Amino acid sequence: MFIPGMLFLGACCCQEDVVVAPEVIPPPSVELGDIFFDYDKSELRAEAVQQLQKNFDWMKQNVTGTLIVEGHCDERGTNEYNMALGERRANAAKDYMVNIGADPARMQAVSFGEERPFALGHDEASWAQNRRAHFVGQGAAAPAPAAK
Amino acid sequence: MITCGMNSGTSKGVITSLLLLWCLFLSPFFLHAEEQGEYIAIRKQGGGKIAVVLDRSAAKGGKESEWAREFDKTVKDGLVFSNLFTILPPPSNVRAGSDGKGGSVNFGALSSVGAEVYAGGAVSKKGGKVNIDMEVYDTFGTKLLLKKSYSGKEEQLRSLGHAFSADLIELLTGKKSFFGSKIVFISSKSGSKEVYQCDFDGYGVEQVTSFRSISLTPVLSPDGRYLAYTSYTSGRPTLYIKNLHDNKVSSVAKNGVSVDPAWRNASELATTLSFEGDQEIYLVRPDGGIARRLTNSKGIDVSPTFSADGRQMAFVSSRNGLPQIFIQDMQSGLTRRLTYSGRYNTQPSWSPAGDKIAYSTWEKTGEINIFVINADGSGLKRLTSGVRENESPSWSPDGSMIVFTSNRQGGKKLYVMSSNGENQRRLLQMDGDQMQPSWSLFR
Repeated sequence: MFIPGMLFLGACCCQEDVVVAPEVIPPPSVELGDIFFDYDKSELRAEAVQQLQKNFDWMKQNVTGTLIVEGHCDERGTNEYNMALGERRANAAKDYMVNIGADPARMQAVSFGEERPFALGHDEASWAQNRRAHFVGQGAAAPAPAAK
Repeated sequence: MITCGMNSGTSKGVITSLLLLWCLFLSPFFLHAEEQGEYIAIRKQGGGKIAVVLDRSAAKGGKESEWAREFDKTVKDGLVFSNLFTILPPPSNVRAGSDGKGGSVNFGALSSVGAEVYAGGAVSKKGGKVNIDMEVYDTFGTKLLLKKSYSGKEEQLRSLGHAFSADLIELLTGKKSFFGSKIVFISSKSGSKEVYQCDFDGYGVEQVTSFRSISLTPVLSPDGRYLAYTSYTSGRPTLYIKNLHDNKVSSVAKNGVSVDPAWRNASELATTLSFEGDQEIYLVRPDGGIARRLTNSKGIDVSPTFSADGRQMAFVSSRNGLPQIFIQDMQSGLTRRLTYSGRYNTQPSWSPAGDKIAYSTWEKTGEINIFVINADGSGLKRLTSGVRENESPSWSPDGSMIVFTSNRQGGKKLYVMSSNGENQRRLLQMDGDQMQPSWSLFR
């Protein structure tokens, strides 16, 4: 069986302490995903809850990893109000994950209002894409020992 | 012609009846004498524009004539911008028999072209400086209203022109104008959103920040000492307060969003913070310290704006669902809803010169339009319509004009209009998007 992170060089022929080479860490099997919101809402949809569970799994796999939870809005409405709305979306996502066991110290909610749209169109298809909480994983250093 | 004997010592009653007669028959406004020869024109409500003849300033030629042309243009542009005047060309014989200096004013010629006010002067070089001697006459009363000299360096010519324009408007309307005020705003010209500022008339654009981040919602303190703005330089939207005297910057060191500040006075501003969970409005000191919390409701509270006396605050709240504008009494904390028309009302701006609040409504048609409403909820009036999205209204310090953002010609650009919605036009030509203008209270 493959043992990630441990590759012994010349272990069979040297009597001295062996040098342990750093190993490339395989990518985590769970990937972060965005969640989407209804117009002017920061309440979580049913499918969002499923994705948040997966994002929590990512945190469990990446024990030293941290998450920035970005709250975004579509271009409609006014910038200042959307700054607040974006934060409510980010907080709704973060709060749910904390409730199911995520460490709040490893998560930071940041609102981008309507400042950083993903889709650049001016129609409902684009707007629906832009009403989201986006998750940025940082410092995913090593897989958890328990992960199998 | 009826002459107003302003300095004759006639009893007030006689003056009043003379003025009334004169006002009724001859002019949409009349001049009222104060004791020390100070005149204030009180314009009848709805009275038209003031017909003024701006004479070419006399000069001896060379550099002085160049100065005169620039001064005259600055004054004319400023008066046009104010939208208070009908500017008439000077009749050819306005200074009958003069050599360009000191000739007596031909009031007959002025009256025949319908001028109510005549302004003219002379530009000269005195001690290495620009010296401008200006005179203003009431052409019907043939009275000298103002005689004043303006002096400064060559590079201050525009300021001198604005100083005279400000004096002229204060003389004729009794109100301080916006000359000397600044507008701060956000522009994406450089590729990222930065703070810029310009003069009241769009001249002299300067870039204020160079963070290459996102900067938002700049606003100058009433005394011009501080600039407050939100920036993402730390990775999240944080409120910064920059002392423009010593360039020291303080920030509100709290987690969560911190956006859209408004000054209550020179030493207090309000902003939305969310470190206690919900987005609430707090009073903050210029050093970044929190003075006290102002709102307490479930949902978003954002975008404070204060009455001129600082006793009342209008703001946006989603406490009833979609965003509406509310007014809170600062002492009692009592809050009432101001807007009932329209489903999405945001961006309130309280006039510094009266109990009027401008705001933007996102309408069913998809347009965003600017409205104005009295603080008691009466007098609702739409100021823009039929031209896409019009947002972020901010009043001039005298309350006579509103600067706002519109994408009526494509990208978001800055526009100005009179407080009644008339005379909407571009403020400045500039690359990129321009947004979130805020007109300074100082001038």
